[in-house]
Amino acid sequence: MNFSIDGHAFSAEPHPGQCLRTFLRERGDFGVKKGCDQGDCGACTVWVDGAPIHSCLMPAFRAADRKVTTIQGLASGDALHPVQQAFLDAQAFQCGYCSAGMIMTIAALDETQRADLPRHLKGNLCRCTGYAAIHDAIDGVVNVSDDIAGNACGASLPNPFGPGIVTGHARYTMDLDVAGLTHLKVLRAPHAHARIRSIDKAPALAVPGVLAVFTWEDVPRRLYSTATHEDHLVDPDDTYMLDDVVRFVGQRVAAVVGESEAAAEAGCRALTVEYEVLPAVFDPELAMAPQAPVLHHKGGEAHGNVFAEIRGEVGSIAEGFAEADAIHERTYTTSRVQHVHLETHGSIAWKSDDGRIHVRTSSQAPFIAHEKLCHLFGFIPADLHVFTERVGGGFGGKQEMLTEDLCVLALLKLGRPVKWEYTREEQFIGASTRHQMTTRVKLGAKADGTLTAIEIRVVSNTGAYGGHGSETLAASLSSPMSAYRCANKKGEGFVVYTNMVPGGGFRGYGASQSTFAIECAMDDLAKLLGIDPFTLRRRNMVTADDWIEAIWSGVSDVEFGSYGLDQCMDLVEEALATGPRRPVPAGEHWAEGTGIALAMLESGPPTEHRSGAVMELLPDGRYHLAVGSTEMGNGSVTSHRQLAASVLGARAQDIDIINADTDKAPFDTGTFASTGTVVAGQAVMLTATALRQNILSYVARITATKPDDWALEADAVVGGNARISLVELHAKGTAAGHRFLAKRKAYLSPRTVAFNVQGIRLAVHRITGDIEILQSVHAADIGRLINPMQCRGQINGSIAMGLGWALTEHMDYDDTGHLKNAALRNYRIPSFADVPRTQILFADTYDTIGPLGAKAQGECAINPIAPAISNALFDATGVRFASLPFTPDRIFDQLQPRP
Amino acid sequence: MKARAFSYVRSETLADAYAAFAQAGDASYISGGQSLVPALALRLQAPELLVDLGAVAEMHGVTLDGDMLRIGGLTRHAQMLTEPLIARHAPLLAQAAPHVAHPAIRNRGTLGGSVALADPASEFPAMMLAMDARMEIFGAAGTRLVPADAYFQDLYQTALEPGEILVALHVPSVGPRHRWAFDELTRRRGDYAMVGAGLQGLFEEDGRIEHIRIAFFSVAATPVRVKSVEAALAGRKIDAALIAHVQGLIDAELDPAEDEHLPPAMRLHLARVLLGRLLQTVSSPT
Repeated sequence: MNFSIDGHAFSAEPHPGQCLRTFLRERGDFGVKKGCDQGDCGACTVWVDGAPIHSCLMPAFRAADRKVTTIQGLASGDALHPVQQAFLDAQAFQCGYCSAGMIMTIAALDETQRADLPRHLKGNLCRCTGYAAIHDAIDGVVNVSDDIAGNACGASLPNPFGPGIVTGHARYTMDLDVAGLTHLKVLRAPHAHARIRSIDKAPALAVPGVLAVFTWEDVPRRLYSTATHEDHLVDPDDTYMLDDVVRFVGQRVAAVVGESEAAAEAGCRALTVEYEVLPAVFDPELAMAPQAPVLHHKGGEAHGNVFAEIRGEVGSIAEGFAEADAIHERTYTTSRVQHVHLETHGSIAWKSDDGRIHVRTSSQAPFIAHEKLCHLFGFIPADLHVFTERVGGGFGGKQEMLTEDLCVLALLKLGRPVKWEYTREEQFIGASTRHQMTTRVKLGAKADGTLTAIEIRVVSNTGAYGGHGSETLAASLSSPMSAYRCANKKGEGFVVYTNMVPGGGFRGYGASQSTFAIECAMDDLAKLLGIDPFTLRRRNMVTADDWIEAIWSGVSDVEFGSYGLDQCMDLVEEALATGPRRPVPAGEHWAEGTGIALAMLESGPPTEHRSGAVMELLPDGRYHLAVGSTEMGNGSVTSHRQLAASVLGARAQDIDIINADTDKAPFDTGTFASTGTVVAGQAVMLTATALRQNILSYVARITATKPDDWALEADAVVGGNARISLVELHAKGTAAGHRFLAKRKAYLSPRTVAFNVQGIRLAVHRITGDIEILQSVHAADIGRLINPMQCRGQINGSIAMGLGWALTEHMDYDDTGHLKNAALRNYRIPSFADVPRTQILFADTYDTIGPLGAKAQGECAINPIAPAISNALFDATGVRFASLPFTPDRIFDQLQPRP
Repeated sequence: MKARAFSYVRSETLADAYAAFAQAGDASYISGGQSLVPALALRLQAPELLVDLGAVAEMHGVTLDGDMLRIGGLTRHAQMLTEPLIARHAPLLAQAAPHVAHPAIRNRGTLGGSVALADPASEFPAMMLAMDARMEIFGAAGTRLVPADAYFQDLYQTALEPGEILVALHVPSVGPRHRWAFDELTRRRGDYAMVGAGLQGLFEEDGRIEHIRIAFFSVAATPVRVKSVEAALAGRKIDAALIAHVQGLIDAELDPAEDEHLPPAMRLHLARVLLGRLLQTVSSPT
């Protein structure tokens, strides 16, 4: 068959059954991305004869004799297509994984179609941006600012990988051609709880192309947790790589390695497994009951299925409630949701000629994965190299080691390179989720609204394994409880094993769940007392003079490096009153309401967190920066360059950067818990400062002056009238044996706090349950903005994710623990049409703890979204929607007139 | 997941395609492939052979023959929005088309493929009912025409016998006295409909309905007409009282299945809402 792809004509025979996407990628056209393989996400969009289509939905043979254009063929030579340029100008991407498909779709729109974007972009999903920057690109908005030496900090500078992202040349985890590559697939459990009696490998091994089958009998019998933290003891070691007991539908049963993915899959289908089905429990309250089936017999049986229990009380809530004029008490529940980073989990492992093992992975914590692999396989650390390339989103989902272990196992057994890439279905049934939590809140207050007691009880469903269980629970009892000043507070929480897919880290990390409960409860209390929600919050919210205290009287390392909650409240109140909004839709039955919610989040985790950086002056006068933290769309490579450039008086583009590589960068705990700026950024700043000192001291030494007499500029050191170019200095210094190198580490302590306030005005249709967001206002106190464009991007993305959690996303299980909607077409993350523009405002603060005045901001913005929507619905209808999500059936159920 | 390694043949005539299908024993036709390919990838279907209909001449093109518009089965969803003959003679299709999937899917998906699959949540099959279309079917005995009312039989079951090909759709052309309307209610914008419907009717000069056909989708195993509503509307002029009256007939006409997230009571409620909106739309000339 004859093909023409991006102007290259050739003959080829696609495999029987092959789709155009895999045909293109097999040829090395890695710009074409896989997001779902079902025509739902649009990441694989290419043009066939000029019309955009999903390449995953077209058999490859149908592209014969047609003209196929991928993102890699869109530019004419060096001249970018105008849409590619617009994406760069607006920086219409974060992780960039959806960009190829998004650009191909947008570049084919005519004027009429551009006028109706909600409809015409419905086939392209983005999980990072909240679509705001994409809309900017289509409108021709330029969001980037100039890169001026010495002024990098505070400028909206572009992602250094942007040109690669918009042209399809950026390389993500799976975008690699490896000679002799084998493919791994796993058979997943069909039962929620079962003992594996036997696995017959023979039928699988008989499948042509199948190389090996691994079961629980083939793996190191070492317990570990897939969750990645610096201190592995915070997560229970309750997991085997492959186990003889399955505890949720979707757990790994066996791994099959084949010459192709198809062979490995066929091998999985051919395996014969005999199960002894065990009683299963899905509800954490039932799992806590004495007669419940116990999931784990690993030393903690005495506690049944309660893996962790956390309690604390300050003051006396008994006295607090006794003093109260009014008491509000209610239970609020949040739902289990998935991260849906568009790049699925996956890794590739191979051995180099020197015998070292290399693992290229899509991870937020490659250094911890490195440690865990050493633990599991008994490696000497120096023999193992773990690294990332571009990572297509994380949101906490990649704070897990889910694929690396089996790839390494297969590599050790077979000696050939191994790749394992999750399917979209596996993301839903075999990765992690947000912990479902049920929170009982009891508030006592004086008639004037002054809180006299706050009590919460949180039950967290951690699913079959306990990774992140205790930390998310602790987070749920921590900053949301610190956000209000009250003499009497009490919290208790339980992390409970059930036969569900495991919970994990997810943007907002436990605090999202309890913030939903507490912020809804505050509005319920406001209504009870007849006090305006702003007033009630202002009367009780923590102030800069307060001692930060959740439910424990012990001292913590959390301090106010800055405080801007009061500004955030004022900004949102003002904007709700005066800012732009859409009118209530025409027609009857619409009820309008407004709601607010606030959130406080510690900048970084209470667990240990450290990060290192190395910087070097290069012979051409530029700099090289190596930093351990992962870039997954969060923008850290951009902000790290800005921090370094600002210290060195350079331009950001003068700093080459490599990140998240255990060979090439110093240790970093991982990019999670909003540490990219406050820990890794701190390390970068300390390192840049040390390198500046190194350079200036050297100049002082060779000129017999003082370091303070000199200053660094873009390409030279300058002192009075003297000017020595960095090129000259480098040559001179290295010739004399000097090294222009610096390395520093940062450790997270103390921790500052960030604040976010969300305002929502909405209209709800009493008859159809439709919800229209009329106005969205968000104020953030995140200290100094290292890159304002990126800060807005993180907030827009958080808001979109919060809207999904509140309105459309939900993992829907049957009563045997099978997920019913393991696909993007019925899991429903927000599309372009679902996300309104948000007016984003910033408090004017400068943090004394974070680097160059900055605070953490990757997560906190999601926390007030869902409660603000519930509060607006409450305002509109008088009905409290206390369980996420607020789907039309639930609205309908509550709003229908009762006969 | 990977599709089964099927073989592939591209037929240029209906007879060749039919023969290839019959010979294989385990074959599927591929038209636009936008539902078939995901089903293959999920192994919900795993045929040995794909018979590609893309080159069959009789299945291409849109032509007007007297009062009947013949739309070749391979006409793509996107063409519903661009083809002047469809805009003029079968405007309900053009009205429904923007709600069907999204542009990349509409660039590949075909009308014949959609009607042959007969997904009960799809827009176009229901519009066939509303427009009183006839299906041109090629089979062992040559070509026959099956009216939409006899075509949709059960969940994914149609009058198509194994191996038969839906060649074209014949749609009665609308005249100046016709009015039509389409709408659907979705969970998320652009999503599958919770309930959707289209209607097309012939109206007297004075606004009275001569006859009308109303077809719902996403409410049952097949697209369905609400005949008692149609009968109650015949000879009447639309007003608030009439709308309320026919909305009251919906409960007896539709019997949606139990669904945890869309209880039958809500589906019926939404169907009544939608019926009211559509009738309101056609109470004045389209």
